[in-house]
Amino acid sequence: MSEHSVGRSRGFNPGAVSESDNYLKNSKGVLSWVFTLDHKRIGVMYLIGILTSFFIGGMMAMGIRAHLLTPTGALFASNDTYNQVFTLHGAIMVFLFIIPSIPAALGNFLVPVMLGAKDVAFPRLNLSSFYLWVIGALFFIGALLGTGLDTGWTFYTPYSTTTDTSVILATLGAFVLGFSSIFTGLNFIVTINTMRPPGMTWFKMPLFLWATYSTSIIQVLATPVLGITLLLLIAERTLHIGIFDPEFNGDPVTYQHFFWFYSHPAVYIMILPAFGIISELISVHSHKHIFGYRFIAYSSVAIALLGFLVWGHHMFTSGMSSLTTIIFSALTFTVSIPSAIKVFNWLATLYKGSISLTTPMCYAISFLFLFTIGGLTGLFLGVLSVDLHLHDTYFIVAHFHYVMMGGTMIAFLGGLFHWWPKITGKMFSELGGRISCLIVFIGFNMTFLPQFVLGSRGMPRRYATYDPEFAFLHQLSSYGAFLLGIGLLVAGVVLVYSLFNGKQAPPNPWGGVTLEWQCTSPPPYYNYSRPPVVGDPYDFTGLGWNEGDDNYVFLNPIESPDEAPVESPSEVPAHAGGQS
Amino acid sequence: MMASSSPLLADYTDHFWLPVSASTFGEQVDSAFMLVLWICVFFMVPITFALVYFCIRFVKAKGQPAESQVSHNTPLEIAWSVLPSFLLVWIFVKGAIGYIDQQNAPEGADLLSVKAFKWGWTVDYGNGVFHPELHILNDQPTKLTMRSSDVIHSLFIPAFRVKRDIVPGRYNEIWFHPTQPSERVSEEELEAALLDAKENNDGVFDQEKYQFTVDGYRFHDLYCTEYCGRDHSAMQTVVVVHDSRESLEAWIKKYSGRGEDESPAEYGQKLYERRGCASCHSLDGSKRVGPSFAGGYGSNREFTDGSTGIVDENYIRESILEPKALIVSGYNPVMPSYKGQLSDDDIDSLIAFLRTLADEGGGEN
Repeated sequence: MSEHSVGRSRGFNPGAVSESDNYLKNSKGVLSWVFTLDHKRIGVMYLIGILTSFFIGGMMAMGIRAHLLTPTGALFASNDTYNQVFTLHGAIMVFLFIIPSIPAALGNFLVPVMLGAKDVAFPRLNLSSFYLWVIGALFFIGALLGTGLDTGWTFYTPYSTTTDTSVILATLGAFVLGFSSIFTGLNFIVTINTMRPPGMTWFKMPLFLWATYSTSIIQVLATPVLGITLLLLIAERTLHIGIFDPEFNGDPVTYQHFFWFYSHPAVYIMILPAFGIISELISVHSHKHIFGYRFIAYSSVAIALLGFLVWGHHMFTSGMSSLTTIIFSALTFTVSIPSAIKVFNWLATLYKGSISLTTPMCYAISFLFLFTIGGLTGLFLGVLSVDLHLHDTYFIVAHFHYVMMGGTMIAFLGGLFHWWPKITGKMFSELGGRISCLIVFIGFNMTFLPQFVLGSRGMPRRYATYDPEFAFLHQLSSYGAFLLGIGLLVAGVVLVYSLFNGKQAPPNPWGGVTLEWQCTSPPPYYNYSRPPVVGDPYDFTGLGWNEGDDNYVFLNPIESPDEAPVESPSEVPAHAGGQS
Repeated sequence: MMASSSPLLADYTDHFWLPVSASTFGEQVDSAFMLVLWICVFFMVPITFALVYFCIRFVKAKGQPAESQVSHNTPLEIAWSVLPSFLLVWIFVKGAIGYIDQQNAPEGADLLSVKAFKWGWTVDYGNGVFHPELHILNDQPTKLTMRSSDVIHSLFIPAFRVKRDIVPGRYNEIWFHPTQPSERVSEEELEAALLDAKENNDGVFDQEKYQFTVDGYRFHDLYCTEYCGRDHSAMQTVVVVHDSRESLEAWIKKYSGRGEDESPAEYGQKLYERRGCASCHSLDGSKRVGPSFAGGYGSNREFTDGSTGIVDENYIRESILEPKALIVSGYNPVMPSYKGQLSDDDIDSLIAFLRTLADEGGGEN
């Protein structure tokens, strides 16, 4: 308990964590990780898993762009290989990386800590969802090592019911991953509903939790539809039940409705947690109260709900009736409003702030620029007549990469840098982090801006070879992609280097007010020795900066920690049932 | 709508954002595109400016408090939530109007039926004339009734700003009104290209290289835009717009049936190239989706049902009309039937062509 008295003269400072309390070190050996019920360790295992997936998917992207350096294809021997690579790039990035990235990796670590709780509501369910993710990933590896997969990540019928490749393995993988996602969502909903500390009303929750809560609702409601769709697809392929394949009186467009009924909300599973991260980052690194808390919180919920009503915009050219098509177009525009609100609110938060251009802040600023482009170019695709021209061209490719990669991936990186000191207890090189952000930003725009022009000029997507008139823009895009790859590599090196050579992180290096900054870096395995005191999560007036250890301290705790009820932590978390 | 802003930009846009516009939909789609583009600029420029300015102006040393801790301003937030909605309604209505225009073909449009298959196109010009290229008449609305014989394809003509998926099991329709006839290159240029193809490329005419068809027409690209497997990216053809019906009919006549002094084997080879056989059956023994034609005729085949048989006239005929009856081992039953699409003389010609390949290298069946 001695650490709690450190730094009291300058305000409340939880001090450093002891070796025996540090969640990373309090028990050793492989089994202590494999069977851990600690949400933080599960989060770290997720982090390693999804970063590995991101690396594999990213190398495939490098392959794709290298192939497209010349009109006839520069890298792969056959179109088949190219088709398999772009399919697996998409499937891995969507199912193994983006969907679980923020909720499962960062969310698992942060949700209980931000709530001042010791763990999620169902720790065993949490561990099982990680193992479901691993099993799902193994199915994908099986498909990769078997006959591959060449359907595109969307598995459109009847192509997917007739191709020779490992469709069943891959869809079973996606099915299992779906359950992983549902369990995580369920866990977070129950945790946030029941385990908020006294004083944390809904509108005193950090916005990251609002975003996570909205995301979890989508995960629980939409993912079962993907599950049943994939099972029907497998049944169609093996038993010819006649629902999706016209040869057996099925309808391929029905498949598209089923698929996008999940996969459009899934887009919001990917982007909403990113909004949550950016709300935290912008506010903390501007040292200013988030502007329009309620609008941001409500817009997350609005996006989650409206997101269920717009799936038809993936099918404007599929041959739905004109009326249906027009209704989907109108609904699509409604979902752009809550996204715009957030951008304006973030900008207003910067205004008259005290901005620190730290690495996480640099990523957050990149996010604002890239996501705004991604969002605005969505308007082209909502306008029906223009979509008829742009549908299934590189314009779409550029648009969703700006949203998914420029949005979610950049926010994920920003969040990773932001909470890295909390997760690992190490500070990284600020210079290296900022350089990585600059290279990523330039590389990203160089990769995907030319693709807007390619698409509007008529270049179709998913082409292994292309007409020579598109060569220059494709080459520009490829060189940009290589630069982007280097930037991401630099970010990886900076983080890994910090693990071995980084200096010990203070409890609150950025000046955050949310609860995770009130425990040590890294947190003890029980997170808090006493229930933390909850205030406004964006009230920065009570913070002071301590130059000596580059740490922010709470100058005037609302109540002195000493007066909060003291409860000695047991040696191991209660839920662990004596296991250490 | 927006007629005022787009002409000012026409030259610029023609060269940068959008391809040549050659149908009546061009103006509608392009003006909507430019409207949205300007709306994007309208938002993007101030947002970027504010972002950069704030990040320079309000950077402070660590530990400095922010100048303000304002947490909200409800009227301002309601304003920036509601006001952009008006712009959204505007572009939604404009897009919907353009979309509805594309749905209903006018009375009296020319009708063509188009078949999409892995990986090619066949346009039915009537009277037994089929050709992969789409030839239409200028200033005449044309409606395509499209079907697919295997998986989903999508017909996309960038210059006409039209796109429609072709879903197996249903008919999908698309129409357009071309506004610019395709130019014809001079005879000398065409002959030079034909000679070049003969000498340097085994007689295969690469129209992307010369940028005109084997008949000497400049063309618009027609792409498949729904991923459909291995040669999706090769599933392209061309659109040629004729300036007069005489010219169009002369072109159709050129491709109607076997010429009087043409041998069945020669005509069979043309059919092989023109009707999509080539995308699945090689002539050099290599394995594609279907068995190679090289050395096929007269060989002994093992079928998936365990039986064996000689590839003779009757087997070939059956395989064209009822492709799924007997499948050679190692292949999938994916070939569509050509029943009703090839005349007896066409089938004869194809058999004659296959016969000429009988002794060319065995390859793997």
